[in-house]
Amino acid sequence: MALAFDEYGRPFIIIREQEQKTRLRGLDAQKANISAGKAVARILRTSLGPKGMDKMLQSPDGDVTITNDGATILEQMDVDNQIAKLMVELSRSQDYEIGDGTTGVVVMAGALLEQAEKLLERGIHPIRIAEGYEMASRIAFEHLEHIAHKFEFSETDVEPLIQTCMTTLSSKILPAFGSGNSVNRCKRSMAEIAVKAVLAVADLERKDVNLELIKVEGKVGGKLEDTELIYGIVVDKDMSHPQMPKQIEDAKIAILTCPFEPPKPKTKHKVDIDSVEKFQTLREQERKYFDDMVQKCKDVGATLVICQWGFDDEANHLLMHRNLPAVRWVGGVELELIAIATGGRIVPRFQELTPEKLGRAGLVREKAFGTTKDRMIYIEHCANSRAVTIFIRGGNKMMIEETKRSLHDALCVARNLIRNKSIVYGGGSAEISCSIAVEAAADKYPGVEQYAIRAFADALDAIPMALAENSGLQPIETLSAVKSQQIKDNNSCCGIDCNDVGTNDMREQNVFETLIGKQQQILLATQVVKMILKIDDVISPFDY
Amino acid sequence: MYAKRSRSQPQIILLKEGTDTSQGKPQLVSNINACMAVADVVRTTLGPRGMDKLIHDDKGNTTISNDGATIMKLLDIVHPASKILVDIAKSQDSEVGDGTTTVVLLAGEFLKEAKPFIEDGVHPQNIIRSYRTASYLAIEKIKELAVSIEGKSLEEKKSLLAKCAATTLSSKLIGGEKEFFATMVVDAVIAIGNDDRLNMIGIKKVPGGTMRDSFLVDGVAFKKTFSYAGFEQQPKKFVNPKILVLNIELELKSEKENAEIRLSDPLQYQSIVDAEWNIIYDKLDKCVKSGAKVVLSRLAIGDLATQYFADRDIFCAGRVTEEDLLRVAAATGGTVQTTVNNVIDERQVGNERFNIFSGCPSGRTATIVLRGGADQFIEEAERSLHDAIMIVRRALRSSTVVAGGGAIDMEISRYLRQHARTIAGKSQLFINSYAKALEVIPRQLCDNAGFDATDVLNKLRQKHALPSGEGAPYGVDINTGGIADSFANFVWEPAVVKINAINAATEAACLVLSVDETVKNPKSESAQGEAAASAMGGRGRGRGRGMRRR
Repeated sequence: MALAFDEYGRPFIIIREQEQKTRLRGLDAQKANISAGKAVARILRTSLGPKGMDKMLQSPDGDVTITNDGATILEQMDVDNQIAKLMVELSRSQDYEIGDGTTGVVVMAGALLEQAEKLLERGIHPIRIAEGYEMASRIAFEHLEHIAHKFEFSETDVEPLIQTCMTTLSSKILPAFGSGNSVNRCKRSMAEIAVKAVLAVADLERKDVNLELIKVEGKVGGKLEDTELIYGIVVDKDMSHPQMPKQIEDAKIAILTCPFEPPKPKTKHKVDIDSVEKFQTLREQERKYFDDMVQKCKDVGATLVICQWGFDDEANHLLMHRNLPAVRWVGGVELELIAIATGGRIVPRFQELTPEKLGRAGLVREKAFGTTKDRMIYIEHCANSRAVTIFIRGGNKMMIEETKRSLHDALCVARNLIRNKSIVYGGGSAEISCSIAVEAAADKYPGVEQYAIRAFADALDAIPMALAENSGLQPIETLSAVKSQQIKDNNSCCGIDCNDVGTNDMREQNVFETLIGKQQQILLATQVVKMILKIDDVISPFDY
Repeated sequence: MYAKRSRSQPQIILLKEGTDTSQGKPQLVSNINACMAVADVVRTTLGPRGMDKLIHDDKGNTTISNDGATIMKLLDIVHPASKILVDIAKSQDSEVGDGTTTVVLLAGEFLKEAKPFIEDGVHPQNIIRSYRTASYLAIEKIKELAVSIEGKSLEEKKSLLAKCAATTLSSKLIGGEKEFFATMVVDAVIAIGNDDRLNMIGIKKVPGGTMRDSFLVDGVAFKKTFSYAGFEQQPKKFVNPKILVLNIELELKSEKENAEIRLSDPLQYQSIVDAEWNIIYDKLDKCVKSGAKVVLSRLAIGDLATQYFADRDIFCAGRVTEEDLLRVAAATGGTVQTTVNNVIDERQVGNERFNIFSGCPSGRTATIVLRGGADQFIEEAERSLHDAIMIVRRALRSSTVVAGGGAIDMEISRYLRQHARTIAGKSQLFINSYAKALEVIPRQLCDNAGFDATDVLNKLRQKHALPSGEGAPYGVDINTGGIADSFANFVWEPAVVKINAINAATEAACLVLSVDETVKNPKSESAQGEAAASAMGGRGRGRGRGMRRR
């Protein structure tokens, strides 16, 4: 930090531990910040698009994650630099709001920063650049609305939804398996699962989708193609007694949060036993409790007991004896989902058990997997199918984790489409179209902002460029060809032909993205870049 | 420090070894230097083209801010004289909420102007006296120039207030959306009415989304609290519910901490268990009987209660923060329970689900849900909104505004210069320099925007010097680099902000000028350690006094 000197020539200490703080000011600070932001964007650049590569990340505990989801990569990278952290949060907030396009937003921000750097070198005031970007982002925002297409779907015709989800999934790990036909089959089945799951829980009137009602479970083993959607719940538990029936039809389920054991007062207590008789009564009482409890369940007509707590062997035996199958140690969240799905009530006390409070399910079965002893309980054909489970199978844990993330993205996309039915075409076509529009609009602005707006247009080209690069095409050649084609045919659907299908009309390729996702990307990227540009002073502890 | 008794006598040590003292004129000048260095730090954040500072402390927290008070607080200034500047920034913040950068800058500039006089040997008290006079004159002038917005219709007033808020916001990160936020802030402030209850405006931060996704809830909104199993089964939307606000735990637990029950007869066991259950069931029953459809509690609502309520179609939320609860109580117009026509809804906001209470008749609360790309971004947006809210409140109360963009500063400066000519004596010089110091605001505005400050200032001086007085509202035009009528362009500030800024800055400058000696203890840490030790010892002795000693 700059030191001030007093009349005797001694330096002042104005700020605590002044010597130990570093301070970057002015252009230096901006340059340093920009290069940090760019570095993060560079890491993600190769993960963009259907031919993007994955990153392998190892956590301090040695856990390995393989992913190409931007938000996950950045989250796991544990970045230290402040500006880089901003980029991480940028990607995270895209994830929270939209769920997809987390890589694109960072690449976009990186490109904006790169362009800003050039302008700064020419001596343009950073705020003017930021303002120009802001104007440009608004132009792009409106242009996107202009080129967006509304598309119709209903509960019966979900094809468009599936197509959009497939676009999302195409950049994920899934197509890495098999070749030719199986790619599409797997992608398609995944997309179908995602769409069906979202539609099952969606409230189409309120346009609200509570993703918490979709449970995603995974188990190692089997093939990815074995992944299935279950209109009901899958619980990673087994029947409490091996001899209990493995399949119950038309089950009436008692959902309990009280343990099968004698009740205990919460206050500290002691029972003085000073005679044999007393001991006998105590013993007798205890047995009666168990008996009562089981009887109570039996009385109300339950054919399956799901309990949040455990029960000891005596209760287990009694349940078995009375032919009342039971599941124990079911977690609270699962319990809740079961209650919702079966239309039952969670019962905290045996005394409150009534026939109305029982949940109903068409089929409850225990399923064993492969040769392992793992068993899971499926609760299907529930009274209320608003809770669904996606059950993923896969070769290894990393695969399953990545599939989970990919499905999450797909689910979010489907949800966004239910909220807002507009789409734009993918494959970089929307960006190219915006770039052309912004470029054209730039000339109308007097003042320095014009340069910033043009720079914004250049930055927009970065996404199709990265797409082309990742697909092994000549980036500049491809981009300029597509751009000229867009202008010549006045067709905003031309994009980068990443999969080498032969056409670059994204309408024919069925590559869609949601409008709100794209708009959000542009706005968020601009916002963060603006914030970074506005900083002209960085004060940080020296030994950092 | 040493005092000499006579030449042959040994020196007498008055102060502890290592104590640093400095005094006299050099000391005064060095204090001024220190203050100027601090003012330099915040200098570039002034105005709509001001830059932000990224401050990063050793705990790893990062703040990106443009707010003078926040920056000053985070700089962790230890220099005793400079600390005064931190204090005035803080006081400006708590008094009017905005203009924190202005106040620091003004104080720094006043001192800078005083420095050459001090070096030339003018007695500081002379300067102080003149500065005080000048500040008094300046404030009178502001009052004279201020335009009242009193007596307008609510609609008109709203748009006027929004202009004030927009002026404040234009210098902040969310400046791009200033109209959007200004309207939001005005609506929020009008909603809480005239009461002095700032905490009735809640600001919730949800990462994700863009600034435009921020929204104002005419009522209360809070994040879904931790919930037990059964919560999802509760209905999520109510119209005209009764709300029960509690401050008790609804959980099955031991009633008394250290109580112990001894049973001699095992048959009594069940009765104890029942008794415990009855206690909680009694409570729950009462809640249900009250007819409430929504139960909120500051303390936990256990799984048992959650399920009990779910069973009876009642919505409940436990561990609601006290502030939110207070707001709910205020919004719905009751402390315990209430019947009002409000609507409760659960809505997905970003990654969180929010409970929203809206349409409360007694109103008086508002919640702003802020969205933004990054945490730091939202934090800064919150600070900016806080400033805007304060400004609107002050403007609503004092109802007078002045032209911003440096116009009012130029006008006062002109007025003071004119006045100075009528004074005979030294004071003329000092008031002149005070007037010059005021010009720092338009000058800095230009500098930050990258304009030629001298050029713009000359134009402004010329405009303000017009005898007809029509040039008074002219200030810096930040868009073109020229000058413009700030008043007509709706760059407005509440008069009270300026008055307070000038007052505080003058006071601070006078305070620094009046100090001619600083005595600094060797090291504050060890001094504190000693103080603590002596305090301990004192207590020890104090306790020991009653005992046998000696």
